[in-house]
Amino acid sequence: MKRFLSILLTAILLMAFAAPALAEETVALKIATWTSNEDQLKLLGSFVDEFAQAKGIKIDATFESIDFAEYNTKLLLELQSTTPPDLYWVLETAAPAFIASGNLAVLNDAMAAYNPEDIAETALALWKNGEDVCAIPFSTSPFVLLYNADLFAQAGAKTPDELIAEGNWTWESFREICKQIKDKTGVWALQTVDGQGYDARILHNLLPIVRAFGGDAWDENYEVSIDSPESVAAVQLFHDMVYVDGSVVPPGDESSFFTGAAAMTMSQISRVSNLDEVEWKWSMTTLPGNVPVIGQAALGAFSRGKNVELASELVAYMTSESCVARMAGIWPPARYSVLESEAFLTSNSRIDPEQMKNAVAASIATGRVLPSHQLYPQIEVEAKMAYDKLWKADADVAAILSEVAGIYRKYLK
Amino acid sequence: MKKSAAARRNARREALAGYGFVLPQLVGFCLLVLLPLINVFIYSFHNKNMLFGTNIYVGFDNFANLFGNDPLFWLTLKNTLVFSVLLVPLNLVLALLLALYLGEGRPGTRYIRTVIFLPVVTSGVAWAIVWKYLLQGGTAGPINWFLSLLGVQGPNWLLEKGWAMAAVVVNRVLKNLGTNVLIFFGAVMNMPQDVIEAARMDGAGSFTLLRKIKLPLLMPTILMVAIVTMIGSMRVFDTIRLMTDGGPEGSTMVLVYYIYHQAFKMFNTGYASAIAVVLFVIVLVLTIAQWTLRKRVSHYEG
Amino acid sequence: MKAKRVTQRAGQVVMLVAVTALFVYPFWWMLVNSLNTAAQVFGAPTLLPVSWRWRNYVEIFEIQPFARHCVNSVLVAVVGTAGNILVAGLSGYGFARLRFPGRGVLFMLLLTALMMPIEVIIVPLFFQMLGWGFDDSLVPLMLLPIFGSQGAFSAFMFRQFFVTVPGELEEAAKLDGLGYFGTFWHIMLPIAKPVISSGAILAFLAAWNTYLEPLVFTSSIEKYTLPLSLNNFNDAYGQPQWNLQMAATTVSVLPIMLVYLFFQEKVTDAMVNSGLK
Repeated sequence: MKRFLSILLTAILLMAFAAPALAEETVALKIATWTSNEDQLKLLGSFVDEFAQAKGIKIDATFESIDFAEYNTKLLLELQSTTPPDLYWVLETAAPAFIASGNLAVLNDAMAAYNPEDIAETALALWKNGEDVCAIPFSTSPFVLLYNADLFAQAGAKTPDELIAEGNWTWESFREICKQIKDKTGVWALQTVDGQGYDARILHNLLPIVRAFGGDAWDENYEVSIDSPESVAAVQLFHDMVYVDGSVVPPGDESSFFTGAAAMTMSQISRVSNLDEVEWKWSMTTLPGNVPVIGQAALGAFSRGKNVELASELVAYMTSESCVARMAGIWPPARYSVLESEAFLTSNSRIDPEQMKNAVAASIATGRVLPSHQLYPQIEVEAKMAYDKLWKADADVAAILSEVAGIYRKYLK
Repeated sequence: MKKSAAARRNARREALAGYGFVLPQLVGFCLLVLLPLINVFIYSFHNKNMLFGTNIYVGFDNFANLFGNDPLFWLTLKNTLVFSVLLVPLNLVLALLLALYLGEGRPGTRYIRTVIFLPVVTSGVAWAIVWKYLLQGGTAGPINWFLSLLGVQGPNWLLEKGWAMAAVVVNRVLKNLGTNVLIFFGAVMNMPQDVIEAARMDGAGSFTLLRKIKLPLLMPTILMVAIVTMIGSMRVFDTIRLMTDGGPEGSTMVLVYYIYHQAFKMFNTGYASAIAVVLFVIVLVLTIAQWTLRKRVSHYEG
Repeated sequence: MKAKRVTQRAGQVVMLVAVTALFVYPFWWMLVNSLNTAAQVFGAPTLLPVSWRWRNYVEIFEIQPFARHCVNSVLVAVVGTAGNILVAGLSGYGFARLRFPGRGVLFMLLLTALMMPIEVIIVPLFFQMLGWGFDDSLVPLMLLPIFGSQGAFSAFMFRQFFVTVPGELEEAAKLDGLGYFGTFWHIMLPIAKPVISSGAILAFLAAWNTYLEPLVFTSSIEKYTLPLSLNNFNDAYGQPQWNLQMAATTVSVLPIMLVYLFFQEKVTDAMVNSGLK
């Protein structure tokens, strides 16, 4: 009996102590992303746990991986639902629309202790509405060139790094080595960005060339120049590579750099994890022309979520110096402190520090993001119909680009 | 004659039971078909945007924009028409020929009957995915590979204007051909054999027989099937989305896909509803044609 | 005469080859490449798999919740089919055998659902489901085969069948003390077996193969059904994994195909009837 009483007493005491822990609220937060890579999600999850621990609360975080091609559609359907994501990744092209529609919470308060000077003003520009910060970029990733060194050796072609050393790393010399590789090895020389360079990622594909030639799609003041002589010359060069030289994986062909069926591809460093199992030697370098183009992605909080304040604080935490430093190897940061650190250069075990410095860090410093606009979804659909006309051997590049420019101007004015 | 009280009570009980039986279906119908149909008309008079959360009454603005200010809509309408005009005759001719062939009872009949139905029970998604690979450009796809054996350089099927539409039409014809073959086959088997025999006795050749006797006998069925096939051809969402995504140059963008694009890619739900109203009207007209025809046919058949 | 027979023979052979190439080969190609590596999918087609990579059939379950997608599809198809038959059986019987004011008008109204393409009403339907709390849910996918066009068609078939049943059966049931529902459940439904089977086949196929509806009504990957899942075999950056896509497509197509081959007559009859509707 005594024994029973003592056990009972212990139990009651234990429960009394445990009670605060039980009473401690668990907040459920949903975070929408377009990655489904488990290592990446685990890393993001660990940030949430740290944040919860620092706040002294429990957070039950669920990550929702949405297919990239469907991202905006599915995200918006989710935002209408009764269980919307509290935090979500935002694509650069969708930024103006999501900001203007008020679907992103203003993060100014959450950023009080944040040291915003650390972030490049140009990197944040896209994500601000006047003085209000609506999302914070976690990835400011320049487009780089991945190449298959074995195929270069087989073709006896000069590698990009040799051409850079010679000071001859231009799109014209790039075109020559592409032709050389295709002629010598029979393997495609270049795969476009994710193989989607003719449709979904046409701007990622064309703008590095167009900007290197001095053209652009449109600039910050919505001045369209896709029909300028520079832009036309650039697109003509790419068109000739596809249809005259036959060195680029053509539209509709699924040959991939990552399976060894193309010698080079334009890509971002988050993709190099796809190269873990390849049996050939690969390397990474800047794109020709040295006018880096940057792809951005940001994290924001849903303005009508159930825990907006907490979600906003979490956004700030997940893009803080400490977290950004740990993501840097996958998603390059826009923070000077991280970018300039030695640690950044070794942050991706798959990439040589020298390459990280020359191809990535240097490009972030000087690169420009892709153009965007509130009506981007409309612009994209209509412009694609005109762009499609490019992918024929006898296409009139200048005429087609002037049609594209007409569509751009119609929406941008 | 006056009904007795008991009979009246019985009638009332039967009526109550009747309403009970049809209630579940009718409630579901009202909520899931009728209500959204009313709403689609209401939405079509609003500037309703899912992203911005706007919902403003704009009268006929959406329709004015659609017909007066949207080249994409006209292109879509034209594509839908081209698609149907290519698909329906191809489907009907092939189905009829196959049915006549099967009707002659040659060896292999059972095999053909079985396999032409395989795509019918397969999802449009699976069928489209597989054909997307078969139709790869260059020599990567099996079809072009076979063509290259014959010394023909096949086109880049899904990325060349014209070929893309042809590819989608053929994909769709093959997918649904089985049903029409068997419908025609049933009709062929029901043809009065004595009439055909009599004509044969009179020395009619097989082509004359087909043109003068068989086709006229099959005509009511052919017309019916043509309209049903045409209505079905409006609904090619999965095929278009998976094979061409509306391209190239918008040449395979059809009404159902444009509705989806406007509503769920550009988030203009009001405008999308206006397009849906147009689709509704087209389907309605075709359906009325079908019903009138059915009445005439069944009247004619006695 | 002999020459004619030879050309006839040749014609038959051409016919069989063409039919096989168009209707069987695509499936064979799918099967072969479901056992290849991604790189082997393109290029000269082979009659048999090159690498016999059975691991593809394991990986499809690892790369995304494919097992879950299979379960979702089965769930939607089974609930949709059962509901379709039950609801349509009830209303078909009511419209055929019971007299009540407004019967003809209500039946005509119901038939308008037959012609309604889901594409016309999908936008308002999306907002309605949202309002009812069925966002990112399988419930709409179960409700639509019951009450949408497929439901109206089943009701139509049931009515046409029950109209032809002789009245003596009901009289006998009444003498046995059966009420309206008892008569329907114990007497009428059992004799309607042919309608049930063809209605069920059609409803099942419709629910199993539906694509636009899950695209709109589900958003999280756990809620996907097979048709959505098939087009989602991409790596983290949207690069398609062709061999896995073929393996998954095979998994989604094969069971249906086997059922079809077993119950061929029933399935074709049902489809032919619906083609004539």
